[in-house]
Amino acid sequence: MRIETCYFCSQPCYPSKGITFVRNDAKVFKFCRSKCHKNFKMKRNPRKLAWTKSFRRAHGKEMTVDSTLQFAQRRNIPVRYNRELVATTLSAMQRVSEIRARRERQFYKNRMRGNKATQMEADRKLVAENQHLLPPQYRDQVQEVLDVEAQKVDMELAEEEDLEVEEEERLKEEKSKMKTKRKQRLVRGEGVEEMDVDE
Amino acid sequence: MAVRASFENSNEVGVFATLTNSYSLVAVGASENFYSVFEAELQDVIPICHCTIAGTRIVGRLTAGNRKGLLVPTSTTDQELQHLRNSIPDSVKIQRIEERLSALGNVICANDHVALVHPDLERETEEIIADVLGVEVFRQTIADNVLTGSYMALSNQGGIVHPRTSIQDQDELSSLLQVPLVAGSVNRGSPVVGAGMVVNDWMAVTGLDTTATELSVVESVFKLGEGMAPGAINTTNKETMVESFY
Repeated sequence: MRIETCYFCSQPCYPSKGITFVRNDAKVFKFCRSKCHKNFKMKRNPRKLAWTKSFRRAHGKEMTVDSTLQFAQRRNIPVRYNRELVATTLSAMQRVSEIRARRERQFYKNRMRGNKATQMEADRKLVAENQHLLPPQYRDQVQEVLDVEAQKVDMELAEEEDLEVEEEERLKEEKSKMKTKRKQRLVRGEGVEEMDVDE
Repeated sequence: MAVRASFENSNEVGVFATLTNSYSLVAVGASENFYSVFEAELQDVIPICHCTIAGTRIVGRLTAGNRKGLLVPTSTTDQELQHLRNSIPDSVKIQRIEERLSALGNVICANDHVALVHPDLERETEEIIADVLGVEVFRQTIADNVLTGSYMALSNQGGIVHPRTSIQDQDELSSLLQVPLVAGSVNRGSPVVGAGMVVNDWMAVTGLDTTATELSVVESVFKLGEGMAPGAINTTNKETMVESFY
């Protein structure tokens, strides 16, 4: 029994779940749940709803062009049964899913690259633009701290680019870095001081 | 050899079976009598595949094929497609067609060289038909009926068309097909000759109600009479038979 994917959100539609709609021109639409069916009846475009797979594909949030994605397809020309072929296919399926998982991870990493720097830039800009909110005597101090932070981030970024081999290791490192980095806060009248944070 | 048979008291043999020069499809679950008719003639000559299409038994109307290929509609499940592939010789191409008109047996009428198809068939489908069946494709109507497969029974030797087909239409069709055509009926006057019978180059099966006159017309136009039976293999049938063996 073939498990079709939902027309709207591309989730698999398992037997006994969802509803099938056959249009007048014989096109079959499968829906995994009433949410998708209702959205379809409201004539919404799945490419414009952020929770559907087609949105994610259309907006470059997921891999679309990849050789590993071409294996799962409905084929119209059958091949004769062959025990060895089935065995090799089964082992290949595992291998392909492994490769796909790795590529997807890499894709995610590439997509997220640079987010940190952009965020930091935005934060820095915010602080720089709102200097007038601080008492005049601390403005220079804050500027210094900002400069130091900026340097640190630049270094981190450089490191990150070097370390693309093992994601898990990098994640661990980042976590430990976050822990060791003491949180700071600005206290009115006393300047920058270390913050006591429960860890 | 033209014989009579019925599928569960129904005369419409062409609905429940497909017959070509290299394989035959029959629906599952009929009485053994029905299968025996096919086996008596075809056993050890061509494979007889018991199958369903899209879970239904109307395999004759849903599929279209000839010696070189078999076309099944988009509603065919993966398992059925695999079963067909495993039971039919490798030399026969099998393909599932994504076509709005899913009763391919009704809209396609083919022998090993020419196919007459429904005028509304999609362009891609037409190309697939030409490719898989290895035929020239013509969009045609038979006596103003668009369902060419229903109103025409065709083999490489000849063909029967709807009894109300005009002489001009018959001439036009027969010049397209390069085989002799007659207007005739089966099953005691039924005009749906395509659905009422199945035929290949050395055998025809019609419904149980077919009259002797109808049967003699069938035998003469498809050249199935005495001297044409499998016993006389060295005559006109030799070429197709030998082709289908290999």
